[in-house]
Amino acid sequence: MTIALQKLTKRFGALTAVDAIDLEIGDGEVLCLLGPSGCGKTTTLRMIAGLEWATSGDVLLAGKRVNDLAPRDRNVAMSFQFYALYPSLTVAENLAYPLYGEGLGAAQIRTKVEQVARVLQLGPIMERKPGELAEGEKQRVAVGRSIIREPNCFLFDEPLSRLDVQLREEMRGEIKEVLQGLRRATVIVTHDQLEALTMADRIAVMRAGVIEQVATPHDIFQKPENLFVAGFIGTPAMNLIPAELTGFAADNVASFAVEGGQSLTIEVDPAVARLAPGAKVTLGVRPRNLEVVHEDVPDGLSSVIDMIEPMGAETLAHLNDGRHDIRVVTDWRTPLVERDQVHVRFLPGSVHVFDADEKVVRA
Amino acid sequence: MAAASPHERMGSPRDAGGFFAWLMAPERRGPLLVAPAVIVLFVMNIFPLLWSFGLSFFNYRANRQDVPGFVGLRFYERVLNDPDVWDRFQTTAIIVGSSVILQLIVGFLLALMFAREFPLRRILLMLVLAPMMLSFVSVGVFFKLYYEPTFGLLSQFVSTFTGQPYVLLGTPMGAIMGIVVADAWMWSPFVMLLVLAGLVSVPKYLYEAAEIDRASWWRRFRTITFPYIKSLLLLAVLFRTIETFKLFDIVYIITEGGPGTATETIAVFTYRVAFQFFRTSQSSALAYIILFVVIVLTNLYLYAVKRREQEVA
Amino acid sequence: MARPREIGKAGWGWTLFSGLVSLVYFFPVLWIVLTAFKTRTDALAVPAKFFFTPTLQNFINVFYRSSITAGASQATEFPLYFFNSIFVSGTSVALAIVLGTLAAYAFSRYPLRGNDTYLFIILTTRMMPPIVVIIPIFLMFRLTGLSGTYWGIILLYTAFNIPFSIWLVKSFFDELNPEIEDAARMDGANERRVFFGVCLPQVLAGLAATFVFGLILTWNEFLFALLLTGVETRTVPVAMARTMGGEVGVDYGLLAAIVTLFLVPIFIVTYLLQNQLLRGVTFGTVKK
Ligand SMILES: Nc1ncnc2c1ncn2[C@@H]1O[C@H](COP(=O)(O)OP(=O)(O)OP(=O)(O)O)[C@@H](O)[C@H]1O
Ligand SMILES: [Mg+2]
Repeated sequence: MTIALQKLTKRFGALTAVDAIDLEIGDGEVLCLLGPSGCGKTTTLRMIAGLEWATSGDVLLAGKRVNDLAPRDRNVAMSFQFYALYPSLTVAENLAYPLYGEGLGAAQIRTKVEQVARVLQLGPIMERKPGELAEGEKQRVAVGRSIIREPNCFLFDEPLSRLDVQLREEMRGEIKEVLQGLRRATVIVTHDQLEALTMADRIAVMRAGVIEQVATPHDIFQKPENLFVAGFIGTPAMNLIPAELTGFAADNVASFAVEGGQSLTIEVDPAVARLAPGAKVTLGVRPRNLEVVHEDVPDGLSSVIDMIEPMGAETLAHLNDGRHDIRVVTDWRTPLVERDQVHVRFLPGSVHVFDADEKVVRA
Repeated sequence: MAAASPHERMGSPRDAGGFFAWLMAPERRGPLLVAPAVIVLFVMNIFPLLWSFGLSFFNYRANRQDVPGFVGLRFYERVLNDPDVWDRFQTTAIIVGSSVILQLIVGFLLALMFAREFPLRRILLMLVLAPMMLSFVSVGVFFKLYYEPTFGLLSQFVSTFTGQPYVLLGTPMGAIMGIVVADAWMWSPFVMLLVLAGLVSVPKYLYEAAEIDRASWWRRFRTITFPYIKSLLLLAVLFRTIETFKLFDIVYIITEGGPGTATETIAVFTYRVAFQFFRTSQSSALAYIILFVVIVLTNLYLYAVKRREQEVA
Repeated sequence: MARPREIGKAGWGWTLFSGLVSLVYFFPVLWIVLTAFKTRTDALAVPAKFFFTPTLQNFINVFYRSSITAGASQATEFPLYFFNSIFVSGTSVALAIVLGTLAAYAFSRYPLRGNDTYLFIILTTRMMPPIVVIIPIFLMFRLTGLSGTYWGIILLYTAFNIPFSIWLVKSFFDELNPEIEDAARMDGANERRVFFGVCLPQVLAGLAATFVFGLILTWNEFLFALLLTGVETRTVPVAMARTMGGEVGVDYGLLAAIVTLFLVPIFIVTYLLQNQLLRGVTFGTVKK
């Protein structure tokens, strides 16, 4: 069963929460909707479910337009951002709730509930009410309730957002396992990129109601289409350095003048050759693709170590030459001293060039 | 204010600050603030109660000068054995029961109607809430007019079908119905207000989840809506029972207890025993029995309030 | 097929339906208002008149009575009764709120041992049918000569309003954030300042609501007023009931005019206090 969104738009008065998005989710595919708070993720999900109707555009389930169907007629399963467990019912009754409408017998319902309880390890809490559950348990019940039926598609709104780090890791694994067993079109909303990168087949990055890029986790990380995706994905965030193209030293080796007078000569994507010298660009490089050296190099910039943050196996160094803040992640053994004058080298092939329209320049 | 001496000892009036400082000590602050209200309450409520408690053991008639004699529990005996008293209690129970049930049904339906958001909701809500703010006397006066056999609206309406004037208040059954309808009309908005508070406190996402889970209307009501209103329904029932138990003004004005004694509630009966027959002691004994019932009901009510507060927290 | 509607929302169709239901429910009141504008014959006309030439005569009659013999109009007693009702309820409710607020503050902030028991007893005195206390009070008033005086009825109504004020005002105090008071204490405020400077300003709206609810309750009170006011101190409900007693035929137009005069303030109050209404009618026991 597939989901397709065509020019889907939602306006709340003057505010356009979702702006003409196109998206297709294949059968059995897990798509993560990723984006900052308020970018329209929940609204998109609610339009797929039918809890919110589209201002314009279409929602297609299995190729059929369902805009005018009530949620109950769309046959979707959804877990809510804030669980939405029924407070007066026990965990077992909460799990069984979606089954009552299916015309199943009591025995069948019991079997299904037990099955889901086993998968999500809910056994010991089956007779408790939601008010007596810990956050992680509530979250598991919410997920359990959404997977107990066999609907057209699954929608999860921030299924892990309210868990602490450790629980989140555990649950991520559990959900991924469950999803692999289900093989249905699935949309997971999240603002946690790690969650998206680990669970998704594809990720759609949203900003202000617009989808910026849809790609596999690998491509989203390695080949960001634009400045927003580049800056949004990855921790610590990619360094974005405004520069001006000055010329080419060789094929695929370009020289840039960085604001402040320094120059930089590095290997770039062949497509950069399309740009004329003098073009304003932004250079993007991940902190892990930089190296701190003590001698001046042509493929690097000089700066001053401003602050050092040990992160265990690695060290995050903030460099600042008065104009740019550059983040570098090094092995923890690298000797670094605050206030030292150093150079950072760009590893070959690691730089992304974005043009004045914030689009990546790539072949 | 007297300046507190640094060596002030709390609790003794002889210390440096004198009586005033003693009075103002922190541990006396609560009682001191409560005192004025309690004094007024005592003078105007508690003391009269004690007095009438005393009276109920003596043979006293307010319209006579003779010295009352002590009779012990004789009036309680007489009241409890008086078939008239039981008859009035029964009448009261019937009126209270039917009125409260009617209020529940009407209030509940009105609440369902107003639980949604729709244009002009606040204005329409005001129309429905208005009866509750009227005085019993106005409601009584006008329902009496509506029930009037020759030019009353009810009679005119019925006579378009039967061709005859309709005397609602002429039969015991009709008179009780007339009272019940007037009282229920006035107080259904109260029940509505409570139920509405429950209905709007149901988080919207639960209804959305139920929609996704394809729950039927009835299941949704039973498992989601009802749990949010049941404690309020209980509160409404108890509160209205206590209040309707006092029913006096409407009866006094619409039927004066008639026909015969068909609509004579216990409050009206006590009033007549006290102020028409001047059997002061007997009415005091009666009042005490009423008080006992009200205390029990109030206790139940506060218990229900506590339970709901825990639920909401 | 119709577009799925958002849960909990309804449109003009529902407004139409609710409007009809509300109008039917409101009809008895509406009829009072219509009656107030009818002549005496129109008011009692058979069949009932929905369309008629409105007259203001009833409203004039509330204040002036045209006397056939003298030929000139003569003031009625109603202005006095209005004054009595306003004076008696206004004074007693104000008194009750002052005393009630002090007590409510104590019950909320300096709980005594057995706090709940006291509160229970206090509420019971409010829940008590007036008939229970009226007998001894009647005797008491007769003995002390308070019967028929303003002081008597004001004192009684003050007592009548105190339990209600305590419970309602306490519910407002209970809702305040005690951290603000503690912060004021840290800044050196004494208890008097904490009460007058910190707590009281925060519950002013609540006090106003309490005042208005008290006014309505007291204004509408009948039984005490019936037995304990005299010719000079009679209140409006008693006057209305007495107008009913007239054997010559009840002047419904006049009664309707009196009720109508008070519908306007009632509407304003209901509208302004819609959010406090629940709390008001349950004496502060149910907040939300
Ligand atoms: N019912 C509504 N009425 C008006 N504006 C709304 C409504 N629902 C959402 N919005 C607005 O639409 C925008 C998108 O909201 P949405 O809830 O989809 O964001 P989100 O991406 O899910 O954010 P979060 O990560 O915080 O959950 C926000 O600016 C929000 O304020
Ligand atoms: Mg969201």
